[in-house]
Amino acid sequence: MKKILCAALIIWGVFAPALQAEEVRVSASLDKRSVQPGEEVRLSIRVTGQSMNLQAPRLSQLDGFETYYTGRASHISVINGVSSSNVEFSYTLIPQRAGRFTLSPVEVQVGQNILRTEPLEIEVSGGQSQMPGAPQASPQRVTTQPSRPSSVPQTIPQDEAFTASPGTDDNIFVQAWVDRKTLYQNEQMLLTYSLYTRYDTRYEGFDKEPETSGFWIEEFPMDRDVPRETVRANGKRYVKADVKKLALFPTAPGNYTIQPGTLKVSIREEPQGSNAFDEFFSDSFFTGGSFFARRQNRLLAPPPIQLVVKPLPENGKPESFQGAVGNFRLSAAVDKEKVKQNEPVTLKMVIEGEGNIETITRPKVPALTGFKTYDADTNSKLFQTENVIGGTKSFEVVFIPKEEGSSFIPPVEFSFFDPRQEKYVTLRTPNFPIQVEHSEQNFQMPQELAGNAIFQKQVKSEGKGIRYIDEKIPEAFPGHAADGVYAILLWGDLLLFVLLLVLWMKDRQDRLFSKDQALRRRKTARATASVNMSRLKKLAHSSKEEDAAAFFVELEKAMIQYITDKWNLSTYGVTRQDLEETLAVHFGADDAHLKDVFELYRLCDESRFGKGSIPQASKKIGLKIFQDTVNRIERMRK
Amino acid sequence: MKRLALFLMIALWLAPAVCAGAETAKIFQEANAGYRTGDYAKAAELYESLIAQEPHVAVFYYDLANTYVRLGKLSRAILNYEKSLRLDPRNGDIRENLRYTRGLLEYRVEDTRNWYLKATEVVLKYATEREVYVVALAVLFVFLAGGILFFLNGRGVFWNPWQRFVFIVLLLAVLVAFGKHVQSNVIRDAIVMQKECEAHYGPSEHDQVAFRMGEGIKVFVMDRREDWSRVLLTNGESGWVKDSDIAEVKV
Repeated sequence: MKKILCAALIIWGVFAPALQAEEVRVSASLDKRSVQPGEEVRLSIRVTGQSMNLQAPRLSQLDGFETYYTGRASHISVINGVSSSNVEFSYTLIPQRAGRFTLSPVEVQVGQNILRTEPLEIEVSGGQSQMPGAPQASPQRVTTQPSRPSSVPQTIPQDEAFTASPGTDDNIFVQAWVDRKTLYQNEQMLLTYSLYTRYDTRYEGFDKEPETSGFWIEEFPMDRDVPRETVRANGKRYVKADVKKLALFPTAPGNYTIQPGTLKVSIREEPQGSNAFDEFFSDSFFTGGSFFARRQNRLLAPPPIQLVVKPLPENGKPESFQGAVGNFRLSAAVDKEKVKQNEPVTLKMVIEGEGNIETITRPKVPALTGFKTYDADTNSKLFQTENVIGGTKSFEVVFIPKEEGSSFIPPVEFSFFDPRQEKYVTLRTPNFPIQVEHSEQNFQMPQELAGNAIFQKQVKSEGKGIRYIDEKIPEAFPGHAADGVYAILLWGDLLLFVLLLVLWMKDRQDRLFSKDQALRRRKTARATASVNMSRLKKLAHSSKEEDAAAFFVELEKAMIQYITDKWNLSTYGVTRQDLEETLAVHFGADDAHLKDVFELYRLCDESRFGKGSIPQASKKIGLKIFQDTVNRIERMRK
Repeated sequence: MKRLALFLMIALWLAPAVCAGAETAKIFQEANAGYRTGDYAKAAELYESLIAQEPHVAVFYYDLANTYVRLGKLSRAILNYEKSLRLDPRNGDIRENLRYTRGLLEYRVEDTRNWYLKATEVVLKYATEREVYVVALAVLFVFLAGGILFFLNGRGVFWNPWQRFVFIVLLLAVLVAFGKHVQSNVIRDAIVMQKECEAHYGPSEHDQVAFRMGEGIKVFVMDRREDWSRVLLTNGESGWVKDSDIAEVKV
């Protein structure tokens, strides 16, 4: 930071005294002292020694002169530590009448001081002069031949060239003009936009594009520095520049009206001040305008243009004519003159000249027996010279000889209409002899063309009709198979659905039981009892002594399990008294069935502790009591 | 012995079908021969008899339609092409010949329906009703089997990504099946069979004529009233026509 401050102080110390050292002087000069009315005189006001923050001086009203400001130029130099600077303001004076005039001193404000130039004398002599108000075309407008780059006629019709739209500022206008108003179909026409201005003006481009339907358009690239010239019109001097050029090719005959669209420009407002930036950013389109100056946008709409497009004459139109208009040359060459059978020969034709090169189609190649013919390649290159569109277009045609012997590629014709001569011109390629040697090689698409579908011949429909009947009876099986699959899937889905439903219900029940063991025991008691009942029935049918004992043991177990499951009692710790009390609570102490249950216990005890065989009837009674108990409790719970 | 008995039973069960198949093949060959030799009237008669015997064979309708084209009976041809398309919707020959025959008609109806209606119709017409149902049932089978496996496994999450995917496919399949059902059984399409057919604003001759159309035009039957049908055209026009003037595309 300190280093930067030191450097700034050193620079200021070196330059500041030097910059302010020189004395400020103001001078005025004319580039000529004797002129004729209407002749331009340049007035320069030079300020030396101080160029910072100067305003462009205003000229006092000069009687007999028309004046306008054309810009400023500045220069600063530092030599051996001593700076010198000067600013020059330029004005153009146009004397309106003869006489001797004295230009009064011009005041220039430099800082707080006002400096004056010395008065200047100028003599305007009479005699033959360019009188104010007499339109004068630019001396550069000449008519030349279209075959050369600068050949397109550029003459502006005098009745249109310098007319501003009524009600608009006549200090700036745009003229859209064409080099010809009557032309042939597909002939080139040049549409030029000329900007006339008395202001410091900058061209900004199209605000509204021109309406040119019915025309093929090629645009001319414009230089960044548009050439300009000074012209006079209606007694005023204008700076004129051609800001846009379009080549138009009418596609069909008829009467056309071109709407040229609207151009956008910006003009610099009257100079109010100047600063150091203005000195360095002088970048106006026409004059030394300032980058930071205030600018005003203007839209300029030139009037429409009427055109007549003539059809191409039918008389003398050659068969090979395909619409080309202009002036062209044709050249052709073959890549080889001696080939083997089925080996390709390439004919290259180049059409070169001025005209709408893009619309030129390949000259028709005559049908050749003994050759297969393919379009290979087309290239075009466009040239945009000063006022003419032209270029080259090349066509390649591949010939593949099928038979051996001497043959030739006959001349190919290319015709165009020359609008200058107003006649058709036909050009021909030479006759190219081809020597074809015998070869056993079969035909195949040349490698350079293979893989590119456009070179293969298209399979085309020759006509329309119905397709033939189907003479084959379809196999019966697939249809039935589909029916079978459908039926299997239908029933399978039903089955799966039921199964899924059952599994879902079981899953739900399992989840419920896992949370409530009492509920699970209560709900499964009957099922368990049924299983036990089945086992007991089997045991009851057995005649073995040990089975009879086992029967009553199992019966008692089954009874205990059922009752404990139903009322969620412990199966292992429960006593007979607990069971009897539980049943008494639910059945009632005087219930008859309670006695049956006691009878069942008695039978069980007798089978275990009694002596002698147990009658078969006791088993049945025991089973019945168990079954009745289960049924009674189940009904009761519901 | 048991095997022999089983074989004989199957043979006896299949015998009528085999005999009928042989008879059908013979008539079919005769009809084809008639078509080849240019005896289209005879061919048409034989194809008609085949359709009466086997009404679900697309080839018979297609060949009959071709025969009617040769005989210049375009409305009958189009009707039979439409029927054969119902049975064999992806057959390129049928579609091509139907397009060709429609090009021969005197009248043409612009299809001004919304693009999604047209697209839905095209998609649904790409499969038979049975095929669509089979696909839907197959997806349902996979979905149910997945559910059963879940319960049998007793682990994991029922709505796992796979099951969700299958469920979405199932929903789509059911939607398509529903659409196909509507297309096949609710929207009844028909073909105008008369050379000139008048559509009225009401179901009687006294009602004003709404528009006229020619044979072969496809219409959608929207309503029925005694001997009259209210039909809708693809350009949005609708009117009442006599039942005898149209024939439904029904297999």
